[in-house]
Amino acid sequence: MDSSRLKFGKAEMIGLLINTISLQIFLNYPRTMAEHSGTAGWILSIYTGIIVFIIFAIIAKLYSQFEGKDILDVSEYLAGNTGRIFMGVAVMLHTSFAISIILREFSENMKTISLTSSPISYVTFFFIVCIMAASYFGIESLARTNLIIQPVITIAFIIIMIGALPYADINNLFPIWGNGIENIFIKGIKNISSYSAIIILFIFFPFIRTNKIFKISGFTGIILSAIFFTISTITYTMVYPYPESMESFLPIFRLSRLINFGRFFQRIESVFLLIWASAAFTYLSAMFFLIVYIFAKTFKLEYYKPLILPFLIIIFTASLLPGSLVEAINLETVYFRSVAWIVPFGLTTLVLLLANLKKKYSRKGIIRK
Amino acid sequence: MKIKNFFEIKKLFIILISFFTLLIQTGCFDSREIDDQTYVIAIGFDNGKTSKLRMTLQYAIPINIGGGGESGGGGGGEGSEMVSTLTLECPSVYSGLNMVNNFVGKQVNLSHAKVIVFSEELAKDGRAAMLAREISRGREFRPTMIIAVSECSPEEYLKSIKPKQETDPAKYYELKFRSYKYTGFTANTQLHFFNSCLGSYGIQPVATLVGVGGIEDTDDFSIENSTALSKGRTMALEGDYIAGNLPKVGDIKGEAMGLVVFNGPHLAGKLDGEETCMYLIAIGEFNNNYTTFIDPKRDDLYVVVRLSQSRKPEYDVKMVGDIPEIGLSLKLECDLLSVQSAFNYEDTEREVLEQWIEKSLTESMTRFLKRTAQEMNSDICGFGTKIKSKFATQKQWEEFEWLSRYKDARFNVKVDVKIRRPGLNIRNTQG
Repeated sequence: MDSSRLKFGKAEMIGLLINTISLQIFLNYPRTMAEHSGTAGWILSIYTGIIVFIIFAIIAKLYSQFEGKDILDVSEYLAGNTGRIFMGVAVMLHTSFAISIILREFSENMKTISLTSSPISYVTFFFIVCIMAASYFGIESLARTNLIIQPVITIAFIIIMIGALPYADINNLFPIWGNGIENIFIKGIKNISSYSAIIILFIFFPFIRTNKIFKISGFTGIILSAIFFTISTITYTMVYPYPESMESFLPIFRLSRLINFGRFFQRIESVFLLIWASAAFTYLSAMFFLIVYIFAKTFKLEYYKPLILPFLIIIFTASLLPGSLVEAINLETVYFRSVAWIVPFGLTTLVLLLANLKKKYSRKGIIRK
Repeated sequence: MKIKNFFEIKKLFIILISFFTLLIQTGCFDSREIDDQTYVIAIGFDNGKTSKLRMTLQYAIPINIGGGGESGGGGGGEGSEMVSTLTLECPSVYSGLNMVNNFVGKQVNLSHAKVIVFSEELAKDGRAAMLAREISRGREFRPTMIIAVSECSPEEYLKSIKPKQETDPAKYYELKFRSYKYTGFTANTQLHFFNSCLGSYGIQPVATLVGVGGIEDTDDFSIENSTALSKGRTMALEGDYIAGNLPKVGDIKGEAMGLVVFNGPHLAGKLDGEETCMYLIAIGEFNNNYTTFIDPKRDDLYVVVRLSQSRKPEYDVKMVGDIPEIGLSLKLECDLLSVQSAFNYEDTEREVLEQWIEKSLTESMTRFLKRTAQEMNSDICGFGTKIKSKFATQKQWEEFEWLSRYKDARFNVKVDVKIRRPGLNIRNTQG
């Protein structure tokens, strides 16, 4: 794919970022916040948002020397082919693991709440078909489709939050520090992993081209995602008091089941299913495209489309590896989320820092080009 | 030209494939026809003889609901019941459903169930709470279902339900258990609230009390069946009853009045209609009702008002030493509906009546709070959740053990009543 010819604007990129980051709201985000911090999950949510904002500000500053280049280009500049391949493989492994687990979770969730008699492979198949179609159409179509879907998802999300308010009790937010200050501000810091999908911004930089759009998209995506994260956590905690808030495996679905506006407006979870499936399709398609795009770029392949089918088979098979839904959830929330910050924040910052140093010393002539 | 034809054939092929896919989707694994299912609208649980559980299912008979029965029109006539019940014994809820599916022609669907009725025995030994937790895991059980405890067996209660004015039995239950908004005699005891309170350190659960009226003749009415005597009244007021004891005869046997109070998972006591009304006022969920007060100047006559809550209650919960001290400030409004005496309570004597109502409500509220605290040892009003904000962490709050301290609580109730409207008359000229 020639990224120099394809491009999309900041609205598309912001939409993609909000969807890929905030998607966890529909999976387990409010519950994991309650698991970490009890009644103070919403404080942890704000705290991680602020930390990510600061880290992104540093990354954006470091990126200013590499306008229009993705993180693979920067790695290549730093350490040649080895750097590019190392970074590419790291991002691919990170994303492949995330997409396999999330594909399994979405399929299992769909099976649990709606398609109870269907085999899991049959349910997963529909996600796979959608991912395949989206990948063939490419990232530009995907970003623009997401821009159409995103407002619908946001409005439906807000309706669910408002609809659940009659069940909310503000006293459920107390004790204010929940499971303790240490759990929020020290142990809770690893929850910046919730924003690990920001990696798409570092990979799709060539599609948005300018530093200005990069910064606006990044900051807006982070702020809006943090707002959605916080709203969902506050509402969920107010409706389901701790420790009950640790029980639900699909918190927002559970909230939507409560909504009851008179006798006419009931069973709003059907709206939830619609927006949930739409969000999942966009997320999975974007992340899958990222994998094949990176593979093609890492190994300097001219076309990415022949990679779609083999990679889909790998992802599909990998998604079925966990023995149960709980195993899949644990793989994501306990293991993956503990280390998911390393590639998008740790490795990226390190590579950018070293690349900046190289550039600085190259100018001074200390390092030869 | 050849290339153009190729793309047109491709398009046609995709369209055909799409249509074919739509057709096969209708027969996929989870396809269910609406009329191939039995819709349960109420479930009862009791102790079994041969197995752990005796389960009663009340299900709708759609052919009689939609006017297809012999009675035609709205259905529900004699010989064409809109609901039917069946009872069986089983080890657990889902195994029971499996058994039912075996002999009922259509697959049982619980997604329209409106109420779960537990027997008093199950509520006492904690199994009702256990079952409530168990069913909340199930996708078909909705969190908005009403949790009730029956004075008689759930089977008897569900069999007594024969909606006369509703063509839709599910609607009947919805309206019946929503009547607390204009009676104050039951409360919103949804499965969601029940389970939240069960796991809470600061509030305990309640369930709606239901029963079957057993009086066949008006000569059998007795004040002994009311709670009036225990309150020092010689004549019962409308709230001095619990379900099953209402002085009434007629076709409608099923009753819902009062609440069952839980201490943890165990039944701790029952509240009558008046106490339930006080409960709703204390938690700020009281909407309005008709309330009768003894006339302040003539104790043989009554004043009837439409009572409503004008503001949410204000709470002041604090610890004085080891004793919880609970301040409850209530603001209520009245519209005069009936004044049997000739005193001018609309205007010149208004303050006398206001102060009298304030005194009556303060006494009732204090009696209710003391009873739940000292007799039942249960904080159903959730005063514990109001003091939580004074603790920094969850660990400190859990170690404080509010629920074990609540029985020693002291109450300071302040009621402010304003008579806003006098009805259609602004003065009484017959005095």
